[in-house]
Amino acid sequence: MKLPAYPALALLASIATSALAAPTQYPLTVQNCGKALTFDQAPVRAVTIGQAGTELFYALGLGDRLVGTSLWFDAVKPEYAALNAKVERLANNEPSFEAVIGKRPQLVAVQFEWMVGPQGAVGTREQFHDLNIPTYLMPSDCVGKDNLKGADGTRLQAFDINTLYTSVLELAKIFDVDHRGQALVADYKARLARAAARAQASAVKAPTAVVWFSSAALATDPFVAGQQGVADYLLNAVGIRNVVTSTEEWPTVGWETLAKANPDFIVIARMERRRFPADDYQKKLAFLKSDPVTRNMDAVKHDRILIVDADALQASTRLFDGIEQLAEAREHYRP
Amino acid sequence: MRPGWGWSLLLLSGALLAATAMGETALPFGQVLKVLANQLAGAHYPLDPIDVGIVWNYRLPRALVAAACGAGLAICGVILQALLRNPLAEPYLLGISAGASTGAVLVSVLGIGGGLISLSVGSFLGALLAFTLVIVLARASRASGSAGLIILAGIASSQLFNALTAFVIARSANAEQARGILFWLMGNLSGVRWPAVALAVPVALLGLGVCWWQRRALDAFTFGADSAASLGVSVRQLQVLLMTCAALVTAVMVSLVGSIGFVGLVIPHAVRLRVGPGHGLLVPLSALAGAVFLMAADVLSRQLIKGQALPIGVITALVGAPVFAALLLHGSHRR
Repeated sequence: MKLPAYPALALLASIATSALAAPTQYPLTVQNCGKALTFDQAPVRAVTIGQAGTELFYALGLGDRLVGTSLWFDAVKPEYAALNAKVERLANNEPSFEAVIGKRPQLVAVQFEWMVGPQGAVGTREQFHDLNIPTYLMPSDCVGKDNLKGADGTRLQAFDINTLYTSVLELAKIFDVDHRGQALVADYKARLARAAARAQASAVKAPTAVVWFSSAALATDPFVAGQQGVADYLLNAVGIRNVVTSTEEWPTVGWETLAKANPDFIVIARMERRRFPADDYQKKLAFLKSDPVTRNMDAVKHDRILIVDADALQASTRLFDGIEQLAEAREHYRP
Repeated sequence: MRPGWGWSLLLLSGALLAATAMGETALPFGQVLKVLANQLAGAHYPLDPIDVGIVWNYRLPRALVAAACGAGLAICGVILQALLRNPLAEPYLLGISAGASTGAVLVSVLGIGGGLISLSVGSFLGALLAFTLVIVLARASRASGSAGLIILAGIASSQLFNALTAFVIARSANAEQARGILFWLMGNLSGVRWPAVALAVPVALLGLGVCWWQRRALDAFTFGADSAASLGVSVRQLQVLLMTCAALVTAVMVSLVGSIGFVGLVIPHAVRLRVGPGHGLLVPLSALAGAVFLMAADVLSRQLIKGQALPIGVITALVGAPVFAALLLHGSHRR
């Protein structure tokens, strides 16, 4: 059995960087999405709004610092199920302001700006900061993104994977587990490099794809991944071109346009949410195979439909699972 | 009168053909004609099945439903403006669009009906419920029969159902989902296929037929219920018949394509400015103008932003308002 060289490298890298990791000096000030957060000590009580942040806490071994979670899109990753069972779930969707502050958190980690932005669904950052509760907003949702434009915000510049690494490193720093953050980022970078290498080795130069998240009604114009968003980053990471040209995060684009673009792959999102009929990936599949137009698309005829977790299409630690899935599909793609 | 019918039919078929030829993507006109020749005249041109599907299963049904919907809504506007003797009367005045929204939201957000009831059925039931409430309110009042009362009852019912919709969305929807509902509420023809045609066209023709049959009664109503009675019109029966007819037509259209504003209010006025208040001309010409207007608006909604569709309600208001203003100015100059 031949061992790939990359994990060994990654391990080396992580050992090397861990050596650089130093205990955090408090008071620590972190610049986060336009706000300066100051910590006199590592927080011991934290609340998360958004599954990406919640699972990042578990990945950093900080499960014991969590006193509340909220905004769930899917079941927790199986390896964190036991940890997660011990943490109170404040709400499946967005929690109320009082449910969050009632936990007396010393940090609230937030996945999306619309939860705590100027029109925050939970409350504004100012409201939290007035109570001396710092809100850490995942940089992926604020760097290069205008969240007041478009339904799910509009990217001013393409999603940058470094913003995800920043959130890992900064949270690790805040909680004085710098070395774990460094190791985690090294591992992610190695996985990304491996996936990119697989894609490079593929015979097909630049295949195309569309990412279908959901639709308001089954046959209506679907919500698909726009340019520059996280899902678009996943495609680019393995050398697949997005056929959708809008720069909104999740624009609606007609099936006529998508069918004429006739992408090599159709990526459909799998999620637990069941509010639109098209949330169910099996209904998406059934539609693609039965609609008189979509059933003639190459990706449908040749069964190049990829079912990817909706969470892998967000700036979360699951993103790398999605990239690996796409890399594998591209590797095996023979036109 | 006779040659007028011929011209109308010609205009309608021309608009249908134009709406079928223009879509989100550019298909050569010859290609569109070949698809129609294959499907309608049994020709055997070799064609890309995706092109065939786009023309025959997406564009043509969409154009037919747009036409039926525009005609139906315009007819309902004519009925209500005559019966209520109010220039501001329009199909949604009877609480129908508010009720339809509530029904749609209950089905899609709260999952009422457990997947057995579709968005369309939910909104149809909601619309009928809201209309029933209006009628019951108007009937129960002591001053029953007065036109103003129905308008007041309609406003009350609309407010109530709009509040219910807002409550359900605020309580349990997330941002992505609220957007989907909003899109639907502003009118959306993208999910329309042949089954919708089979419902919309007969309903529009039925509405037109009833209206045409009662055109003299509508003329009489224009001078008020009392003068209608003195002219030998059985006021109560006709009010119930015409009002129910308007409610049913509107409810069907709303449940198929969402609530498209402006058509029912403005088209009858625009036509009246040209041909005067007599219903013998007003009824058929309003239907024709409504049909052509909505087909044109639907084409525009797909052309205005490349690769992305706009809600048709936005277009009907954006284009309709200036056109109507111009008509008003023109009309007043002549007087």
